[in-house]
Amino acid sequence: MIRTPAFIRLTVRNLFVNTDPGTLVFLLGLPALYLLILGTMFVSLISGVSIGTSNISYTLFVAPGIIAIQTFTAGNIGGGMLWSDRRWGMFEQLMTGPFRRTDYLLGIMFLGVILSLGGSLIMIALSYYVTGTFIMTISNTGLVLLTIILATILFSSIFLILSVLVRTMQAYQTITIFLFFVLDFASTAFYPVDSRTPLPLRVFSDINPLSFVSNVLRSAVVGNVTSGTIFYLEVIIALTFIFFFIAVILYRRIKPGT
Amino acid sequence: MSSDDDNTISVDNLVKSYGSGKNAVDGISFHVKRGDIYGFLGKNGAGKTTTIRVLTTLVPPTSGTVNVLGMDVVHRATQIRKHIGVVAQHESYDFATIERNMKIYGMLWQVPSEVLSARIEELIELFDLERVRKHRAFEVSGGEKKKLQVAREFLHEMDLLFLDEPTVGMDPIMRRRVLDYVKKKSREGLSVFFTTHILEEADYICDRISIIDQGKILAEGTTQFLKDNFGQLKTLEVEVSGTGPFTEKELRENIMGLENSRDLSVRENKITIVGKNMDRTLENLILYLNRIGLRAERINLRESSLDDVFLEVVSK
Repeated sequence: MIRTPAFIRLTVRNLFVNTDPGTLVFLLGLPALYLLILGTMFVSLISGVSIGTSNISYTLFVAPGIIAIQTFTAGNIGGGMLWSDRRWGMFEQLMTGPFRRTDYLLGIMFLGVILSLGGSLIMIALSYYVTGTFIMTISNTGLVLLTIILATILFSSIFLILSVLVRTMQAYQTITIFLFFVLDFASTAFYPVDSRTPLPLRVFSDINPLSFVSNVLRSAVVGNVTSGTIFYLEVIIALTFIFFFIAVILYRRIKPGT
Repeated sequence: MSSDDDNTISVDNLVKSYGSGKNAVDGISFHVKRGDIYGFLGKNGAGKTTTIRVLTTLVPPTSGTVNVLGMDVVHRATQIRKHIGVVAQHESYDFATIERNMKIYGMLWQVPSEVLSARIEELIELFDLERVRKHRAFEVSGGEKKKLQVAREFLHEMDLLFLDEPTVGMDPIMRRRVLDYVKKKSREGLSVFFTTHILEEADYICDRISIIDQGKILAEGTTQFLKDNFGQLKTLEVEVSGTGPFTEKELRENIMGLENSRDLSVRENKITIVGKNMDRTLENLILYLNRIGLRAERINLRESSLDDVFLEVVSK
C-alpha cells in the first residue's frame, strides 16, 4: 500500500474540518464582499490611485489589498487550528496517533497556504470580473506567489503563537478580532496612506506587516516593482523567519493535554 | 509488532514527576500480556492517567523502563504510536458531523477507503450512532461523544488499545455492548489497558487488575486473586422463618463474633451481616436461631465484590 505522508494526511484533515460553510464565508465571502462593495462604491469617490508611475483605478488598488487580507484570514484559520485542536482535545488525540509534532505543524502551515492560494485565486478572478483587468506576467506571478506564501506563514505563525499562549475562548476571540480590525484597517490594504492620513495611523500603517504584504502584491500586480518593493519583501521574509521561529519554539513546549 | 517476550507492556520502576515535589507515579512495575485486558484502578489523582500518558508516549518518564509492544517509549515513540489506539478520558472530536469525524479519522489512519465505508457502517450500528450520524459532534450528548471516541478507534488496526474511562456517560445497555465488543476484540488478540471508576466493569472485563493509589501499586493480580487475598469482607444474608424476637442489639449480644462485623441490619425476617470470618458467624447465628425456636429458611453468603477489595486496599 502506498503510504501518504503524515503531514499530507493532516493537511487533508484540516481542509475537511475547515470546509464548512461558516469558514468558507469567513475565508471567501467577506473578502469578496470587501472587493465588490468597497471596490464599486469607492471607485466613484476615488478617481485613481498613483502607484509609482502608474495610475490605477481604486478597484484595482484594493484587489491586492484583499489578497493580502486573504493571507491574514488563512493564517488565522491555519494557526487557529492549534487552538481549537487543544480546546476540543484533538491535539492530544493526534499526538497519540501515527504523527510527529512536525507533521502537525506542517499540516497547519500547508492548510494556511492552500486556503490562501485558493482564496487569492478566487479574488483575482473576481477582481478581473469587476475591473476587467488584472496585470499578471510570469515574473510578477512568481513574486505574488512568494509573497502570498510568506505572508501566510507569517500570519499562521502569529496565530500559532496566540494558540499556544491564550487558552480561554473569550480571550482568543477578543485578541483575534482586535488584530483583525487593527491590522486590516490600519494598513494600506484598503486605502492609500499618504500625508493626509493622521500621523499615528500612518506610523502604525508603516510598521504593519499587512501593509508590507499589500504593497508588494500591489507593486507586482501593477508591474511596478522597485527597490522599495524589494525592501518590503525583505521585511516580510525577516518577519516570517522571526515569527515562525518563535512559533516553533513555543509550539515545541506545549505539553499535550494542558 | 516486535516484542521480545509475551508482554505488550512492560513497566519497571516507572517514576513520573511534574516537578512539584511529589511524584505523580512513584516507582510502579507491571506487565501486560498479549491479548489480556488489564485493569488499572485507582481514586481520582491516583496516577492512572499519568501512567497512560507515559505509555501512550505523550509524556516521557522521569525514570524507569517502559516498553510498549517491545519498544522503548522514549526512543521509539513514533513507532509505538502506529500500533496503538487511545480513547482518552477527555472529549476529543473534530468540528464536523459524527460520520465525517469517523471518515476523517479513518483517513488519518490510512484505512483503505473500501474497508473504511463498511467499517463505519458497522460501528455506527454497533454503537447506536445512526440517529446522530449527521449531527455535528459538538451538538450531541456527552455519552454520544464518548461513543464516537470509542467507535472511531476501532476503525484502524492496532495491537494495543488504551481505554481511559471509556464508558462515562453511556447508558447501561451501551456500556455492556462496548465491554462485550472490547472482550471480543481481546479474544481476537487485541491487548487492552483499561481504567474505570465502575468496578463492576473491571470485574466483568479484566483478566488482571492493578490498584494504584498515590502513585504506587498497592495490589495486583486476577480479580479472583484480589478477592481471595484482599477482599476479606463477605456478606451473609439469612431469611428466618417468622419474625422472631430478634433485634440488632439482641443479635449482637447473643452471637459470638458479631461484635467485629462491619455492618449488621435486620429488616422484617431478613438478617444481613457484612464482615470477616463469616463461616463462624453463620454457625453461631444458626445455633442462636435454634435456641429461640426459629430456623434459617434461606442462606446466602456472597463473596467480596471488587468494590470491597478496592475499598479494603485503598483504605489501608
